[in-house]
Amino acid sequence: MATVGLKCPECGSLDIVDDEHYSQPQLVCADCGAVVSEGLLTTTRSEETQGTDVRYTNSTEVDKKPCRNLINGIHRVRALCRILRLTFLMEETAETHFKQAYEHPNFIRVSLQKKEVLAGCCVLATCRQHSWPIAMGTICCLLEANPRLIGVVYQEMVKILKIEAPPTSIIDLLETHCQAYKLSPQHVHEELSESSKDLTKRAAVLLELAADAWLVTGRQPIPILTASIFLAWQSLKPTQARLKYTLARFCQMAKVTKSSIAPKRVTELKEVLCKLGQELPWLRGDEVTPQTVIQMVDDILNHRLTLLRRALSSHEEALASESVLPPSLENSLPGSHTNTPCLEGAASSQTPGQTPKEPFVGEPDTGSIQQQGDVDLTYTVVMEGLPHTGPGTDSQHSQPSAPNSGKRSLFEPPSVRYAKIRRVQVPVVEVTGDEEISDSEIDSYIRTPQEIRDYVEAKEALASSDDEF
Amino acid sequence: MEPSNDVALDIIITNVVAVFRTRCHLNLRTIALEGVNVIFKPEYGKVLMKLRKPRVTASIWSSGKIICTGATSEDEAKQGARRLARTLQKLGFKVRFSEFKVVNVLAVCSMPFAIRLIDFTKNNRPIASYEPELHPAATYRIKTLKATVQVFSTGSLTITGPNVQAVATAVEHIYPMLLECQKPLRK
Repeated sequence: MATVGLKCPECGSLDIVDDEHYSQPQLVCADCGAVVSEGLLTTTRSEETQGTDVRYTNSTEVDKKPCRNLINGIHRVRALCRILRLTFLMEETAETHFKQAYEHPNFIRVSLQKKEVLAGCCVLATCRQHSWPIAMGTICCLLEANPRLIGVVYQEMVKILKIEAPPTSIIDLLETHCQAYKLSPQHVHEELSESSKDLTKRAAVLLELAADAWLVTGRQPIPILTASIFLAWQSLKPTQARLKYTLARFCQMAKVTKSSIAPKRVTELKEVLCKLGQELPWLRGDEVTPQTVIQMVDDILNHRLTLLRRALSSHEEALASESVLPPSLENSLPGSHTNTPCLEGAASSQTPGQTPKEPFVGEPDTGSIQQQGDVDLTYTVVMEGLPHTGPGTDSQHSQPSAPNSGKRSLFEPPSVRYAKIRRVQVPVVEVTGDEEISDSEIDSYIRTPQEIRDYVEAKEALASSDDEF
Repeated sequence: MEPSNDVALDIIITNVVAVFRTRCHLNLRTIALEGVNVIFKPEYGKVLMKLRKPRVTASIWSSGKIICTGATSEDEAKQGARRLARTLQKLGFKVRFSEFKVVNVLAVCSMPFAIRLIDFTKNNRPIASYEPELHPAATYRIKTLKATVQVFSTGSLTITGPNVQAVATAVEHIYPMLLECQKPLRK
């Protein structure tokens, strides 16, 4: 457009336009082409700032590059997937999850450590969605991160992404875990080697037994898996060489990380096996100790259903004989029907027990936990525990109140065996919030002036004696 | 409770947390000097005062905000709070007991049966979560009541909620779900 007020000196027209000749601003007459005035070739700073319309970050010249941490994270996700040998589809899913979670406001400003953990959690969630058995402990080892942090990040991530990730059952974990143990003949001595398949089978049966005996529920899965694999390995060939191995040495040999909890589980599992081993008829009532039980594990596991029933019935008989002793108490119990479950139980367990050693079905072949539903060790005996607690303990429900009565059932959850002695509920005096407050009561909470002086003096004396040293 | 089953469950309240304000500035050093049963915590900027009769512990800040914990019922919490305010008054501060509110109630309850946690989580998928590697109990969050119930496989429950009524309602809410996941009777 013509600049107002300027006249071309050559032809006198008013039609002067702004022109840029190789970015040199000029004022040129539109009629005759004469240059009226020229600007500088370079621009001043103010011209530059005013001239640019589009911000650098928004201009098409610069592509929005993904954040470097995001790229690192995706690489980490891919690396984890490759270490765990996951399928291509799972790798893709994990990457998608990670990208989505990373962009979410809850995770974009989080510390780098948490972002690392987020990568692991995405892999974990993907595995669970595709029913690929993997434990949180494995991710923990791979990332070398705090398990609590992993838990927190995992739960937040699942909530944000709204994904359904059903946790894997312990039996599925067993197989993957077993494969980590290097016990093939090329790794260890012939005497000590074991095939993964046999080990898994035997360990699965032990695991079922542990699950029934309340050793699995609510506890960390990996120590129990380690314990059951160790006992399976020892019992498959109970030679002196193998029996001499402790859990720590075994883990070292199989190149598996040892845990501090697994030895406790080994002890617990051995206790359960001892209780069952006691019922083996050909021992004729000999003592079964944790040291000697390993040789008998084979027999115990083969006939475990029968042994369970026999153990339960003998335990019930023992209880029944106990409850006969205080007759007065028995009469005061709510109906003598409490005895009938015991008798019923004994009767029902005896009849199958009498059919001669019922078919020693290949139990170890099946690996499913559902199979054990028929003989439930706990429910009835927990119920039986209830009527035995005397009439005075109505306020305390379900848990056997006195610690001595802990032996009610054969296999008890540890929380019941070592029950917390609950603070006895003091009979509550009716309290409304708005009662009168007596002055004397309040005065008991305030120091008298003499006490204050004494206190201050004592503090000064202490302070000065400290200074001396 | 369930009218059809006639089951009476004992819900034992173990802790009630309440807050209130004194509407005046408090000098923590004076309280620490002149009060009995007082612990001064300068690194947190607060004073802990323990009362005997309703057995409560109070955290007192200099701004006048006080948190009172350890009571076993809402009324007891209020009683403890009022006693505390009276004590501070006697110490010479111009205290006005205001904005008393029960913030959190913690209770435990025991079911007379054991529970299969894995089935329980499967049936209530997004609301219930169970990670045995992190915590032995399954957590069930009731959004409408703002209550959280932790279910252990032995049948014990731990319930936290904003008030006692919410806790009772939460137990009623969750009882039928637990009933259908109980460990079965033997054949």
